[in-house]
Amino acid sequence: MTTVTHPSVPPATHPPVHRRRSRRRPWGYTAIGALILAVMLFPVYWMVNVSLQPANTAVSTPWFPTHLNFDGYATALSQQGSNLLTSLVVAVGSVVFSLVIASPAAYALAHVDARWVGPVLFGILISQMVPGIVVANALYSAYNDLGLLNSIPGLILADSTAGIPFAILILRAFMGNIPASVIEAARVDGAGRVRAFVSIVLPMSRNALITAGLFTFLFTWSDFLFALTLTTTEDVRPVTLGLYQYLGAHVSDWNAVMATATLASVPALVLLLVAQRYIATGVTGGAVK
Amino acid sequence: MADVLRRAVRTKGHTVQAAESAPEGRRLGKLGKRGRRGQSHLLFLLPALAYMVAFFGYPVVKNVVMGFQHYTTTTFYTGQAPWVGFTNYRAVISSSVFDKALLNTVLFTVGSIAGQFLTGLTIALFFRRKFPLNGVLRSLLLLPWLVPLIVSSAVWRWILDQDNGVLNRFLGALHLVQDRPGWLTSTSLALFAVIVVNIWIGIPFNVAILYGGLQDIPEELYEAASLDGATGWRAFRYVTWPLLRPVVSVVLVLGVVYTVKVLDVILGLTNGGPANATQTIASQSYQLSFQQFDFGQGAALGNILIVISLVFAVLYLRANRRAVEQ
Amino acid sequence: MAQRRAILSRTTLTVALALLAPLSLSACGSSTGSSSGSADTLRVMDYYADQPDKGIYAKVLDACGRQDGVKIKREAVAGPSLIPKVLQQASSRTLPDVLMLDNPDLQQIAASGALAPLSDFGLKADGYAKGVVDASTYQGKLYGLQPVTNTLGLFYNKDMLDRAGVKPPTTWAELKSAAKKLTSGKRYGIAFAAPATYEGTWQFLPFMWSNGGDEKDIATPQTAQALQLWVDLVKDGSASKSVVSWAQADADDQFAAGNAAMMINGPWQFPILDKKTSLHYGVVQIPAPKAGGTPVVPLGGETWTVPQTGNAQRQAKAAKVVACLNSDKNQLSLAEQRQTVPTRTALMDKFAAEQPRMKAFTEQVRNARARTGELGKDWPKAATKIYTAIQTALTQGATPAKALKQAQDG
Repeated sequence: MTTVTHPSVPPATHPPVHRRRSRRRPWGYTAIGALILAVMLFPVYWMVNVSLQPANTAVSTPWFPTHLNFDGYATALSQQGSNLLTSLVVAVGSVVFSLVIASPAAYALAHVDARWVGPVLFGILISQMVPGIVVANALYSAYNDLGLLNSIPGLILADSTAGIPFAILILRAFMGNIPASVIEAARVDGAGRVRAFVSIVLPMSRNALITAGLFTFLFTWSDFLFALTLTTTEDVRPVTLGLYQYLGAHVSDWNAVMATATLASVPALVLLLVAQRYIATGVTGGAVK
Repeated sequence: MADVLRRAVRTKGHTVQAAESAPEGRRLGKLGKRGRRGQSHLLFLLPALAYMVAFFGYPVVKNVVMGFQHYTTTTFYTGQAPWVGFTNYRAVISSSVFDKALLNTVLFTVGSIAGQFLTGLTIALFFRRKFPLNGVLRSLLLLPWLVPLIVSSAVWRWILDQDNGVLNRFLGALHLVQDRPGWLTSTSLALFAVIVVNIWIGIPFNVAILYGGLQDIPEELYEAASLDGATGWRAFRYVTWPLLRPVVSVVLVLGVVYTVKVLDVILGLTNGGPANATQTIASQSYQLSFQQFDFGQGAALGNILIVISLVFAVLYLRANRRAVEQ
Repeated sequence: MAQRRAILSRTTLTVALALLAPLSLSACGSSTGSSSGSADTLRVMDYYADQPDKGIYAKVLDACGRQDGVKIKREAVAGPSLIPKVLQQASSRTLPDVLMLDNPDLQQIAASGALAPLSDFGLKADGYAKGVVDASTYQGKLYGLQPVTNTLGLFYNKDMLDRAGVKPPTTWAELKSAAKKLTSGKRYGIAFAAPATYEGTWQFLPFMWSNGGDEKDIATPQTAQALQLWVDLVKDGSASKSVVSWAQADADDQFAAGNAAMMINGPWQFPILDKKTSLHYGVVQIPAPKAGGTPVVPLGGETWTVPQTGNAQRQAKAAKVVACLNSDKNQLSLAEQRQTVPTRTALMDKFAAEQPRMKAFTEQVRNARARTGELGKDWPKAATKIYTAIQTALTQGATPAKALKQAQDG
């Protein structure tokens, strides 16, 4: 891993690259980072705080949960366990489906000179302008005819409406930075178009793929509209919907609602922490082994 | 393979700059066979195109048509939707809420994007430094996005509560305010509060993408630049910014497109109130369709929204292309 | 050359598989299909998606089903998603056999032609409170029967009122002075909900109607006086400025936490308030404008309808289930379990005697009015005007008369 030039260090006297330069209190930066995080995450902290309080104190919640109270969690777990699993399956499925469809498309749009590239990109951009409700309502009638209501594949397909266009646009931006000469060199060496794509472009886009996959996962995990519109029974119920129904009746059981929300965030959080270790430090970092 | 890549890295500066002058993807060098390449790569695109047409084409067309119809609950049952031409558009535009909603939409979007982007970029730049727990902190930063919007709006409503909210308690303790401000209940503060919450929601998105983009800029370029005497702000302006541009474009354009149709945050925090102070075109469209059951008018507003996004996208892309060509 | 062709065909194959995958997956997906089951199973849709209502209605529906030899297949959805679902089902002709609707929504759905008039099945609304019948009647025909109803009342904290030496108010003047007296420190005298949603309208209606105001034209002095009451309560500090963003649940939270000595709310809050054992509360009728007046309150509750499914046999059975839900026995049992009031006037006295807690509500229901009673399916527009005016008056300091005129014309 290489280090970053510190702005105030005079240029010409820089020692060669690979030495750790930050002897100047790296933990200072960690502290600043933690402060930024503290400010950003305060509402999340508040959510967890309320979840650990006894019921009916939402109005005047103290700053800290002095007496930890797990009633909320007990209720939440007993009622929402299977919903969490459903959400997980749909989210992972959506990531896989979106990336499989989007990455070749992004590559084509990034590296091909053809008249249709501009209009296609524009079309994708327009699709992002359509309000979600419009799409959901249209999908309902279609799904009803196709028998896709209350099904996990149906939800995966629907949730990919958020993932695929976004992944295409992001991946294209990143893939555009891959020098054409690299791909040409591979083609000259005899690799076909697909092989060039799979063996050269995809590994070099690992960064972008993980970013796009992460966002698709988050979009799908927190999706509520399609979960609401495209399910009519309790067979397939993502956790966002479970939360919503719970909120409807038990509005004053805020501790249980917050506990459910906290539990709903945990699997995604674990995945996030695991994924960030795999985001390579750029094209060179990943490629030069 | 490694040789090829190392060669590419050294020439990357040139390659990328050449790429910059042709943002639409004309990156082919002297090798010909453009036609066949374009054609076979069409197959790469086909699944995505099929999906997009199936899942977006029909809703868009239906929405456009609905704007010209008198579409009510009766229509759902009987299928009758008499054609009324521009009546719906005339009705929504002349409504007393429209001007306010339009202004709010513009303010909300500009404020949110500016706040999200600048804060996100600053944080992303900060996280480029190497320090312990960098990775962990960075991924924790995505937490706000994991919290379901229904729940975060409820939490923010408590935080911003005038009488008992922690924000006012905090500000009062530090003696930063005289009177407890009504963040969500005062017509002058409500839009500001909603924008701040939306910025909060959008920062993780911006940080993650911009950070990814920053990571793609090779260290060697910074080294080369610093040898030439460009560090700090100048390094940012001559190395970081040009190479980050494609990613920034995507982030800004997508950001505007998404923000313009934001609905859940507004409904969750204020429902468009107090007294339409936070009513945007998107929230008004929703209310017309699902609370007053006038789907024709709701669709008309929805289409106006799409046109606004479109105009912005076109203007921005044109301006960007011009700037890049310079 | 041969190599290239092989790759090309492999690419084609991959792409074709990618396109076919969703279709094959859809074949594996479970299908709901339309209601083409035998006449032995009836589909019921309602919005009692959470306990205890869910369980209570499950029992009643099953019992009614068994009585007529049918099985009940129930779909309980979240409140706000009921109408969108109904609309979707109307357009795909997959409406359930028995449909529950929030009473103000019935007019819209009936107007669309999706409901069958109950007179086709020999059902009548004899002996029901007038307001209840009005809500379920469209163009002179009865489309729904509502077994139980609820409304608003004035909750008060017994301890706080005793300590301040204040009696529960019965007129507007008393309400204002009591609220002022009870405001001290962090505690407000009264809490109510005035958000920019139909809940705000709902809370305001008792005051508007009791003073002679009417939803056909809200720019009248009577309505302005009612709005002035609310404005005064907020202005002199008896009610928090946050009422413009509170839902009824928030007002209840405030009352339960002791931040408000009184509140305008409904009996559905009883279970939540009862959980706080240190809270001793009572309920009285909404104060009338002047001494000796009667408050006119809006009617809540849900009505049960029979949609047009095209199958006469099923509809007849569905109508029987609706009638069963509305039997005397079920009205009383549902009212007892769910903190609501039975809709047959003959049962009200008995009920009031058995459930003293519900006395204030039972009394008011006799004179209650349906929200859609006068405007029918044009109610939503008027409701929006009302809450818009309330918001403007409470937040922008406009005089009530001006705010109402602006909203009425706007």
